[in-house]
Amino acid sequence: MHGKPDILEVLSRTQTGEYCTQKEWDTKRIPLTIRSILKEHDLQKTCDIDNPVNTDLELADKFFAAGYQAALELGYLCTDTERIVSVSQEELDNALKFAPSEITVGEGKDATVIKARTPSDPYPMKAATSLGITISEEVYPTIAYLIASEPEVDILEAGSLTTIRGHEVLSGTPIETLMGYEHGIMHREARRKAGREGMGAIGCISAVTEFGQFGAYGTPGAFRPSDLALILFPSEMKIDYRTLHKVVHTLNMGGIMKCDSPGMIGGMPGPAEGAAVSSIACALLSYAILQNHVGGGEIYDVRYLSNVNREGLWALSVVFQALSRNTHTLCHGIANQVSGPGTENLLREIAAGVSVLAASGSSLTTGPRSAGGKLTDFVTPLECRFVAEVSHAASAMELEAVNDVVKALLPKYEDSIKEPDLGVPFQKAYNLDTLEPTPEWEGAYRSVKQECIDLGIPLSAY
Amino acid sequence: MGAQDLLEGLKQAVVEGDEDAAASFAEQAIGAELAPLEIIKGAINPAMDDVGQAFEDGEAFLPELILAGDAARAALDYIIPSISADDLEGSVQGTVVIGTIFGDAHDIGKNIVSAILAAHGIKIVDLGINVPPKAYIEAALKEEADIIAISSLITTSLPYHREVINTLRDRGEREKFFVIVGGGPVTPEWTAEIGADGYGRDARDAAVVCQQLLAGRAEGKTAPLPEPVTVGALEHG
Repeated sequence: MHGKPDILEVLSRTQTGEYCTQKEWDTKRIPLTIRSILKEHDLQKTCDIDNPVNTDLELADKFFAAGYQAALELGYLCTDTERIVSVSQEELDNALKFAPSEITVGEGKDATVIKARTPSDPYPMKAATSLGITISEEVYPTIAYLIASEPEVDILEAGSLTTIRGHEVLSGTPIETLMGYEHGIMHREARRKAGREGMGAIGCISAVTEFGQFGAYGTPGAFRPSDLALILFPSEMKIDYRTLHKVVHTLNMGGIMKCDSPGMIGGMPGPAEGAAVSSIACALLSYAILQNHVGGGEIYDVRYLSNVNREGLWALSVVFQALSRNTHTLCHGIANQVSGPGTENLLREIAAGVSVLAASGSSLTTGPRSAGGKLTDFVTPLECRFVAEVSHAASAMELEAVNDVVKALLPKYEDSIKEPDLGVPFQKAYNLDTLEPTPEWEGAYRSVKQECIDLGIPLSAY
Repeated sequence: MGAQDLLEGLKQAVVEGDEDAAASFAEQAIGAELAPLEIIKGAINPAMDDVGQAFEDGEAFLPELILAGDAARAALDYIIPSISADDLEGSVQGTVVIGTIFGDAHDIGKNIVSAILAAHGIKIVDLGINVPPKAYIEAALKEEADIIAISSLITTSLPYHREVINTLRDRGEREKFFVIVGGGPVTPEWTAEIGADGYGRDARDAAVVCQQLLAGRAEGKTAPLPEPVTVGALEHG
């Protein structure tokens, strides 16, 4: 259809594509190809850590050309069969041509429209919150409801569950299928209780394997086909049958999907420049191979388990400028924070990362990853609110202005990225009787929000 | 070729991740009757220190780390058989069965741990990703391993850590292997809760934990330890 491989053809290519071991892929194909392309396009050592937001749009376009070439030269490796799924130039061009440039997530008056953007576009980057931080069963309904109740939050993802009715969920077993269904039910209930029944969602974050997704997505009462099916796949540029099961299931349900996988700074593609090329290539291929609707452009720095450091922010800026200027795809970005709830630095990391994504042209962000997503219940609705506020307020900012903001924020938190203050859990950051933030946490929020306003992010005054 | 040239050549081969050259230099060094431990200390360890530092500094990346680990292992395959029994007893040796647990396809942290350990002369049996609990145990028994190292980035894969430990216990084989856990959602508290023997906050910490456990094993300690060895704390309220 539309001159791109349909899903059956993709599945066929996982059996018939060129054979390549995973070791060969990881240690030779990816690094050597990316290195060669960086050299060919004269992109080596272009990362400017003194200016963590790229303002040279011609450079972003050169990165797009490099990423496009990498997409055609590499393809994805299917790790189950160790076969390369590649596409022709015509197939890639057609996939990008027919990729959606606008999509409605959710239903009725509560739905959200995500649109293709360009850098400094006044149409706001939409915000889905939070990322899949583990939340205990007892407080999940409360946290999900409070996040859904935040008026600026566009789409609800909320955290992940590891138990249902006290039973541990073992991924890949029938209890995961059951958990997916029950997660979907609880998620819908949170939106209904918040008075936003038609609010769009991303699900199911608890579904590690395809089984959880089978239980959650398209099942009556759980996630709807108008919600985004969450399909994450492994770095670097690898897919597997777990990924493809989720893709096929979404298509069977008549749904829409958000597929992505990060380019890893310090990983197989090498430095920030290599990760940017890999991330662009990975995003482009998702439209041709995974039939994607929304996604692509992720960056992660394996040395810091984050991307709000200088190299990470720079790579994010280049990737989203490249994708948004050269395609009409609905690209999606994540700012990976490391500090935890109750700390000012979590809010500064949000301000830096989300403003870079918004001004660089990303269509949608999901966040925050409070405390690096490491600890159960370490997420609160307040920082979710801040993600959405910055997402909307920073969208139309000029890149030069965002660069100035980031240069002012980074010195306040960058020394602690390796050993961040992980803060406190929801139960300590919120008053559980009033369901309001503690005065300390609210004070930190007011203080950093004012700091951001003073730096030039046009947030509404508290 | 003189001794210093051989050591320099071996060091360079490891840094460049050239398995064939590393093996060749190691063979020549043994043939020239250089002391095996001196070869390790004079070439392999400094080479891996250089690559590790370059990785930290953003000048080398994961492929270089993996290939350097492979090259170091290729050299050690020639060197270790020449180490005398007395010297071998005084050095930390052992076998680690490592893999990313069932339900999880993330492998970067596991690969870094593997590369660092391989470079220190520890035999690595890498089971890959999405490894069922029983597969760790079968591999550990087959390889007569000292440590089972379990990596996770996905929270709902964590219960499988406990299953590895409980299955070992129920089969009466818990004392045979130290079990260490690590990865994004793993905490020292979780490590203690499930009765694992070690935790490292990041890949380099995990490598230190393995080395400490192997040293403990050489001193006669057996699993399970009363308290896990923890390297790299997490600070939170």
